Amino acid sequence: MDTALDIGLKLVAITVAFVVVLLIVAYTVLAERRVLGFIQGRLGPNRVGYGGVLQPFADLLKFILKEDIVPDKSTRFIYFLAPVIATMAALMTMIVYPFGPEIRIPFTGITIPLTITRLDIGLLYVLGVTSVGVYGIMLAGWSSNNKYSLMGGLRSSAQMISYELALGLSLIGVIMLAGTLDLGQIVEMQSGWHGTRWFIIFQPLGFIVYLTAAIAETNRVPFDLPEAETELVAGFHTEYSAMKFALFFLAEYINMFTVSMLATTLFLGGWNVPFAEDIFGRGTFLFGLVSAIGFLLKVVFFLFLYIWLRGTLPRFRFDQLMSFGWRILLPLALLSIFITATLIFLFPNL
Amino acid sequence: MLALLFLLFAALAVGCALAMVAQRNPLYSAISLIGVFVSLACLYIMLAAPFIAAVQVIVYEGAIMPGVVFVIMLLNVEVEERRTGRLKFLVPAAVVLAFVLFAEVAFILASMQEFYVTPASASANVGVTHSIGTALFTQYLLPFEITSILLLMAIVGAMTLARRGGLLSPNARVIPGAQQLPLSIVDASVGIEDTRAVETDTTDEAARLLGYERLRDESERE
Repeated sequence: MDTALDIGLKLVAITVAFVVVLLIVAYTVLAERRVLGFIQGRLGPNRVGYGGVLQPFADLLKFILKEDIVPDKSTRFIYFLAPVIATMAALMTMIVYPFGPEIRIPFTGITIPLTITRLDIGLLYVLGVTSVGVYGIMLAGWSSNNKYSLMGGLRSSAQMISYELALGLSLIGVIMLAGTLDLGQIVEMQSGWHGTRWFIIFQPLGFIVYLTAAIAETNRVPFDLPEAETELVAGFHTEYSAMKFALFFLAEYINMFTVSMLATTLFLGGWNVPFAEDIFGRGTFLFGLVSAIGFLLKVVFFLFLYIWLRGTLPRFRFDQLMSFGWRILLPLALLSIFITATLIFLFPNL
Repeated sequence: MLALLFLLFAALAVGCALAMVAQRNPLYSAISLIGVFVSLACLYIMLAAPFIAAVQVIVYEGAIMPGVVFVIMLLNVEVEERRTGRLKFLVPAAVVLAFVLFAEVAFILASMQEFYVTPASASANVGVTHSIGTALFTQYLLPFEITSILLLMAIVGAMTLARRGGLLSPNARVIPGAQQLPLSIVDASVGIEDTRAVETDTTDEAARLLGYERLRDESERE
């Protein structure tokens, strides 16, 4: 009976997390359009609801009502499977992130952890599930039976495999400092110094490498070659329309969100807000609330950074992209590991 | 519950493995193989070895299989046709070998009955990150280092094979940014049947191969 209750509670937690994340993702899309509008000296969508707040729902309605076109010569099963894989892989990492500390509901004495599950291998789980996402794009490109789609799919798989290396290596410094792969424990270790002992202080190089590789992993500007409009029409999703296109769109923004959450968790102290523990005291309801809001604000900062980059930078050329990944980013990540290991060896008590 | 999950994933693994062999389309075979790896990872988790499961997914599904799928997509391999009449003498051999395999499995199962070990009686933290790390870097350090040197040799070998391309003739024109072009496109004096390739990654590299200081003169463009 207890296991059934446990499974039920987990399902509720997963549903809540998914709804919250999807809402944030929907508003990231709106924020992107408004901020890009601001950067480019125009207004952006502001007609649906006050200042455009209902725009995401209007978009969704449009996606649902559009005609769903399937190319005649496509490989139908894989064509349908690809967007599902992309979205599923993006959503599945959600369950290991610590959104906040344990939160105590006032007057009841019930404590709920603000994380769906704690895994001993949390970080590896994230890396593993993210690596599945590449199949969505590759298979979409192949099954569409369209040369632009195929080129986009090939480019994207080459890019994601190349940058996954630098991404994984940039995290090793943090793992060495923390001595664990459990994301919850990594966040706990950053709560020293009144909540400011963030790993970015010890891992500035690793942070920069991670951020760059993460932008490439999510196929965003300036690394958005898989869907370079000027060369490939729309890349791997050229032949996708209606809700299937929306799933790819969703997967891209969820990936942005999860990658930002990982950056926050590993480098910016997760839910640690400076001096929150001194003011509210550990374990109180307000402490939990402030910490969770702090976590979300840090994630939103990264999301803003993504949009800012998109409004600022031009796109790489493909050969530049590859040589940047292999000749600059990968050696930098190795250098970061080397420096971290040396410092840990020399000052084991820091 | 656990037995049910085991049956599910075991059936998935076997089904995907059969599909991999039976499929005629190489891409479908590759996808079935991915299914096998995922099911195996799930089985590892059920055996309380989460680290091995994660590594299984990252290495096989995240690194090796994208390479395989990549090659299948690039080469645009056609659906394999059913070969008839060839290697027919292997069929009875296959039957005999299958019988031997099943006999082996039955023998192992029969001998296992006497000292049946439940997974719970094994050391509880065998598959956990910490114990694997400790074992790898203390007890099994030498095999670990030898394996890494082997992998390094494989990488260097692959690089050497991939880099073995023909040199450019001095009057060949090179299109920068292109990874590989047949020589006949850039050099009119070479026939179409010549399959040698021209390789260059950047404008600077192309210029260096051609013996010029710069390939594109900025003043020349105007």
